Amino acid sequence: MMNDMTGEEIIVEMRGITKKFPGIVANDDVSISIKKGEIFAILGENGAGKSTLMSILYGMYEPDSGEIFIRGKKETISSPNYASSLNIGMVHQHFMLVSDYTIAENIILGTEPGAKALGFIPFVDMKRAEREVKELSEEYGLSVDPGMIISEAPVSVRQRVEILKMLYRKAEILIFDEPTAVLTPQEIESLLNIIKNLRDGGKTVILITHKLDEIKKVADRCAILQRGRLMGVLDVPSTDTSTMVKLMVGREMDLAVEKGPFTPGKEVLKVEDLTVKNSDGVTLVNDVSFTVHSGEIFAIAGVSGNGQTEIADAVAGLLKASSGRITLNGVDITGSSIRKRVETGLSYVPEDRHNVGMILDLELRDALIIRKYYLPPFQNNGILNRAEAETYADRLIEDYDIRCSRGGETVTRSMSGGNQQKAIIAREIDMDRELAVFVQPTRGLDVGAINHIHRQIVRERDRGKAILLISLELDEVMALADTIGVIYSGRMEKIAGADKLSPHDVGEYMMGVGKK
Amino acid sequence: MDKIIIDGMSFTLPLFIMAIGGICCERSGITNLAVEGLSGMGAFAGALAAYIAVKQLGLGYAQAHVAALLFSMVGGMLLAMVHALMCIRFKANQVVSGVVINLLSQALTIFLVKTINSTVFGRPSDQIDLEVSTRFTVPGISSIPVIGAFFRNVYPFEVFIILVSVVVWYLLYRTGFGLHLRASGDNPHALDAAGVNVSVVRFKACVLSGALCGIGGICFAYSISAQFSSDYYVGYGYLAIAALIFGNWNFMPTLAACLIFGFSRSLGYQAVQWAQLPSAWSDLIMILPYAMTLLLLVFFSKTNHAPRALGVIYDKSER
Repeated sequence: MMNDMTGEEIIVEMRGITKKFPGIVANDDVSISIKKGEIFAILGENGAGKSTLMSILYGMYEPDSGEIFIRGKKETISSPNYASSLNIGMVHQHFMLVSDYTIAENIILGTEPGAKALGFIPFVDMKRAEREVKELSEEYGLSVDPGMIISEAPVSVRQRVEILKMLYRKAEILIFDEPTAVLTPQEIESLLNIIKNLRDGGKTVILITHKLDEIKKVADRCAILQRGRLMGVLDVPSTDTSTMVKLMVGREMDLAVEKGPFTPGKEVLKVEDLTVKNSDGVTLVNDVSFTVHSGEIFAIAGVSGNGQTEIADAVAGLLKASSGRITLNGVDITGSSIRKRVETGLSYVPEDRHNVGMILDLELRDALIIRKYYLPPFQNNGILNRAEAETYADRLIEDYDIRCSRGGETVTRSMSGGNQQKAIIAREIDMDRELAVFVQPTRGLDVGAINHIHRQIVRERDRGKAILLISLELDEVMALADTIGVIYSGRMEKIAGADKLSPHDVGEYMMGVGKK
Repeated sequence: MDKIIIDGMSFTLPLFIMAIGGICCERSGITNLAVEGLSGMGAFAGALAAYIAVKQLGLGYAQAHVAALLFSMVGGMLLAMVHALMCIRFKANQVVSGVVINLLSQALTIFLVKTINSTVFGRPSDQIDLEVSTRFTVPGISSIPVIGAFFRNVYPFEVFIILVSVVVWYLLYRTGFGLHLRASGDNPHALDAAGVNVSVVRFKACVLSGALCGIGGICFAYSISAQFSSDYYVGYGYLAIAALIFGNWNFMPTLAACLIFGFSRSLGYQAVQWAQLPSAWSDLIMILPYAMTLLLLVFFSKTNHAPRALGVIYDKSER
């Protein structure tokens, strides 16, 4: 179908799409049309209905009403298989890969190139598969080794495998669901280049995201969704970000955080010559020392996998220190149990909120007291006091703006990622400990939630708490830190006041090329 | 020495084909504790077919053997379909389904043996007698010292088992079906996203498993007691499961585990005879494979790595 106005071909048109789930309208009469060969972004907060809309296009959900036209022809997309036959491909947020298989095996799975040995015994032609994968990966600048086993491949490579899977199936319309949430800044840069390559190669790219800077960098046009409704379709190069933010959250947003003056108090956490090795004897943290004072946000910046998570885990007691000393409130906690550390003055918001941060099958009221269920008033003589937990949960839900459909009885698994994180942060902050450790506290969250969490962290600091913040987001480090430590390859490369370091300096230390 | 090898192999190979049956099912993601029951049903169906072939149709032993093997597969497959139906269609707990199938198989086959014997063949008996299987010796190689024993007094079914296991290995590791089967046990969501029907793959894997367990069953019935009765159920199915777990769900290590079980048993029997111990001691020897299981558990548990989706009911909507 030709668009009369511009003469450009419309490849995807969704008209009046409505999709309801119990208790929520995920998409409310949404109509968009996407041109062939453009990068079309879909922007919105968590829960705005972006993924639902694209899942409908990919045949994972059926819309309650509305029509879809692909290349001008009306289609009922009943399954991902059918979407695939229309040359639509999707990279999901959770990768769908077989971890035991090689990269080539994963890519050909379901469309194996067959051959016949001795003319009648069928087998999968792996040689041909590996050759085809190699050629395809070179064509779009996605360098992968076809023989590598997935479980040994880093996240960014797994994502490339997902992209190659689509290309191998001759996809022309490529949907990316929050592709950068799992990547480091360098990897994001390279992914955005790949996305541009794909467009320049004639593919149509649909990018679901809540990160404005990425949209600014690559997208041609963007549709903004808010609570399931389409707020507008904008031409990206000619629109400024504040307009987009306004449409996205429905209010003006201040991205910077207001902080009081920096007045450090007594020493709360002191880490001396800390070394952590993994079970294979590889040194992950190498002779690291630093101190965090009350009223100070000490941020550790660094590229993912350089030992920052291990520092946090060693402080929290999840990992054993191979050598060195950790002192909290003047007490040596190097060999203490986790509970002892918590009682000495530690709260901890871990990186992996689903496996370490909370037990997803618990109801919210139980999830919120998991650190202190054994203390009165939550427990008396070995019997839990449900009413007390209920009251406590109601207070935290109110104070920390945790959105949950059924109050304290909400199963945490059913909550959105942002609200799960708010619950963890509420639980940890409300313990009122002298030291709070935050690892990647805003990972994968939308602008509104990020802002909320940043304000919480700064409020704690202003109340005189010591904060150890570990983040892969340079912007987050620069916005919050009083003191910045940069880690590279397990070593603390640089520790300095935040006012003495520019983002550029920090970036250099993160790459291991900073001045000593 | 020869006796140890000959008896060892005739125990190892049926155990191995049952373990492969278990592997096929478990690599697709479905826990299979029903190996015992599936093999029992196979043994029953095979024994009945052989009995009818010889006694009723007057066929020769060779035809009876072929009939026994074919029907043992059919028997195992039919019962495996029940397991598949429970686990896939009705999303039942796979452990419970497996255990119940074992109990069901035992009760049902014994009932059927008695009923068929008295009503059809008109002779009240609680067992189906089999002719003692012929054995053969490969000329030439069999005269090599020690190793030659592997080629002496071989049951024909041992050759059949080796052939079938090669075919199944090829199926699992070289064909598209095998790629789907193993993917379904690691990440069924990935397989589904690739446009392959996970339920169909698992169903086929389960039925294949039944056929292989059935072969193992009839071979045991021939080699150990030359009859089928309630005596069949002594837990070799569970031993096969132990073997495949020690073998990390891979063929060659599983074969090694089966060899350890088979040879510890035959070695034990010989030891009792050499030492001229009272016959009660040979009963004690019966526990050797099981004692080995416990011992191996100590060593192999750490490095074990089961298929990731094993025992997880596949639900499209769950992330």
